Amino acid sequence: MRRSLTHWARAAAVGAVSLVMVAACSGNSGGGGDSQAGGQVTLKINFWGDFGLDELKAKYEDANPNVKISLNTGEYNAQHEDLQKKLVAGSGAPDIAAVDEGFVVQFRGQADKFVNLLDKGAGTYEQKYLPWKWKQTLTPDGKTQIGLGTDVGGLAMCYRTDLFKAAGLPTGRDQVSALWPTWDRFIEVGQQYTAKSGKKFIDAGTNIFNPVLGQQPVGFYDESEALKMDGGPKVAFDVAARTIAADLSANLTAFSPEWNSGFVKGNFAVLACPAWMQGHIKNTAPGTSGKWDVAAIPGGGGNWGGSFLTIPKQGRNVDEAYKFVEWLIQPEQQIEIFKKVGNLPSQPALYQDPAIKDFTNPFFNNAPVGQIFSKTAESLTPQYLGKRNGPTRVAVENVLNRLATGNLKGKPDQAWTEAVKEAEKAARS
Amino acid sequence: MSTTRAAPTAPRPGQEPGATAERRGRRPEPGGWRTRLYRFDVRYVPYLLIAPFFLLFAVFGLFPIVFNGVVALRHWRLDDPTLTGWAGLENFRRLFTDDDFFNALANTFGIFLLSTVPQLLLALIVASLLNRKLRAQTWFRVGVLLPYITPVTASTLIFSVVFARDTGIANWALSLLGIGETEPIDWRSAKWSSWIAIATMVNWKWIGYNALLYLAAMQSIPRDVYEAAAVDGAGPWRQLWRITVPMIRPVVIFTVVLSTIGGLQLFTEPMLFDANPALGLGGDDGQWQTVAQLIYKVGWRDLNLGYAAAMSWALFLVILLVAAINAVITNRLGGGKR
Repeated sequence: MRRSLTHWARAAAVGAVSLVMVAACSGNSGGGGDSQAGGQVTLKINFWGDFGLDELKAKYEDANPNVKISLNTGEYNAQHEDLQKKLVAGSGAPDIAAVDEGFVVQFRGQADKFVNLLDKGAGTYEQKYLPWKWKQTLTPDGKTQIGLGTDVGGLAMCYRTDLFKAAGLPTGRDQVSALWPTWDRFIEVGQQYTAKSGKKFIDAGTNIFNPVLGQQPVGFYDESEALKMDGGPKVAFDVAARTIAADLSANLTAFSPEWNSGFVKGNFAVLACPAWMQGHIKNTAPGTSGKWDVAAIPGGGGNWGGSFLTIPKQGRNVDEAYKFVEWLIQPEQQIEIFKKVGNLPSQPALYQDPAIKDFTNPFFNNAPVGQIFSKTAESLTPQYLGKRNGPTRVAVENVLNRLATGNLKGKPDQAWTEAVKEAEKAARS
Repeated sequence: MSTTRAAPTAPRPGQEPGATAERRGRRPEPGGWRTRLYRFDVRYVPYLLIAPFFLLFAVFGLFPIVFNGVVALRHWRLDDPTLTGWAGLENFRRLFTDDDFFNALANTFGIFLLSTVPQLLLALIVASLLNRKLRAQTWFRVGVLLPYITPVTASTLIFSVVFARDTGIANWALSLLGIGETEPIDWRSAKWSSWIAIATMVNWKWIGYNALLYLAAMQSIPRDVYEAAAVDGAGPWRQLWRITVPMIRPVVIFTVVLSTIGGLQLFTEPMLFDANPALGLGGDDGQWQTVAQLIYKVGWRDLNLGYAAAMSWALFLVILLVAAINAVITNRLGGGKR
């Protein structure tokens, strides 16, 4: 019997341990990351790329000891899809979510899931914003404002002066701008460059497609949300397909690791540059400092990108989040972001501020980037970007990549049919 | 258990009297708490002990499977909460006309064949080499397992660099052989090249693991069988196919089933091989998009959960079918009776 008892005790011990383990697994490990503990607030902010917040975060935390800011950068499409999931799930969204203009219509349609910033007193900023920028996050009835604009993506063309020189092309930014008033001329310049240097001129067809599309009055969708492939997208696709056919493209998938190493190794000489691209170039290839310069974009003007900061309703620290967003859009911070990563503020008054007007970027051969990008931003007529703009763009970009590398190689006619097909699929899916 | 269940017996001759007294003193009274405890121990404790697994399985295994079945019969779109309700078999019907699904299925099978077949053959050869008398045997055996303990994300990211178009080691090595010197292979652009690249990653990871399984089985084969075969004039190759493989057949079937399940669920490698992994497209034309990847894309990017659930059920049935076919074929090949 002794044996049986010790056996029983052992069994009980094992059972207890396994129960504890079950409890540990199902229990709320880590206390659920409660951000309110001891008056301490952690603000989680989701974005992609570089919003220039690293130093500002420290500054804000110093001024507000009860606030911790957690920066979560991710992939562009993934961050937006993630936000959509969390909105539907009803939990898990960050306190502050950055939203790009390419996805803004989709989220504006779910305005009830965001904090109405007008209730928080954001209305006082309306006059300060570019009118179209303000309207992009405002519901059509004008009653709900879901986000405050951070930057706009006025377009220019970045180019490598050292590579241009080696290929016998002029290097001064005005001379370079004069080289390519139109995209046709741009392709000719590219052909000269490749003939002389034996290297590729542009990074990827998609990075021609996007700026050209940004210059069209109508993009993928008209305001009734109908897919309009024959308008702007066709024009942009043709230009992009022609640069690929002329063998100007290094065929690097934009934002891939190989693309990034292309910056370092000088695999391409020009790159369509919305203001925010400056930060990306600087972060990716710090070694090319001083070798870049900024010229006008063929076809003139246009917009590509530009973001907003939104506050999902489900967040636990809505008030603190708004305080931080409000602080971020103040001129002082906006100017600092511009200087650091090049994101151009969406408040036109700042364009007259000497800090921006007279700012020259040493990385870009002291180009007066403040003036260049302000000018494009002020003269910009923005496009309506439909609800399915994001996925549609990915679908068409993929067809362009296939035209450059895959089974569609060298078949622009077929590629266009395919692009229409894929875009329609993306619009429906 | 049987010893405790037996009724206390009379002391056997030669046993210490003290022990007998102690036993008798603690003898459970019929109907007393001790007896009940005793019965409880015997009857229920085993169930209690195995309960944690079944509880966990019910919560994290069974429930999701059943719930997935329910979801598969419904419309459920995360980006449009109004689109909900019973769909019946519509999601399954849609599968049969979905080009993307069949493309993904073909990719999955292609990569599966390219990885499983060489993987198991090479594992057999490696195992039979390790089964000989070697110096530093443990070193080799541990070495062969190293790829298996490498996190799959880490190894995939490395391979992703190896198979880069402009800077990859794979292209560099091929250029030494005079292949693709002027135009390096763009591993991601075509089906065949991307399949090879992904299959390479899978093979690299699992050959060592399978080799160790085979090795363990081979250890139990008596040496004299080989000696007799050698006397009869059978070379190493013949010994491998005529003696080793038939004698470790159960393990071979086990590995075949295991790699079938793994291969058809392939996800991480194709996902991270993409230039932009977050899209889940498996190349710009879905050249290497596997079914698991497509399920991810439909569910979490297009936010169409109903359809994604139907797809995962379809994948489950396919795996079941293929695993069964494989087991039967291997059984036959090994020369076994059914």
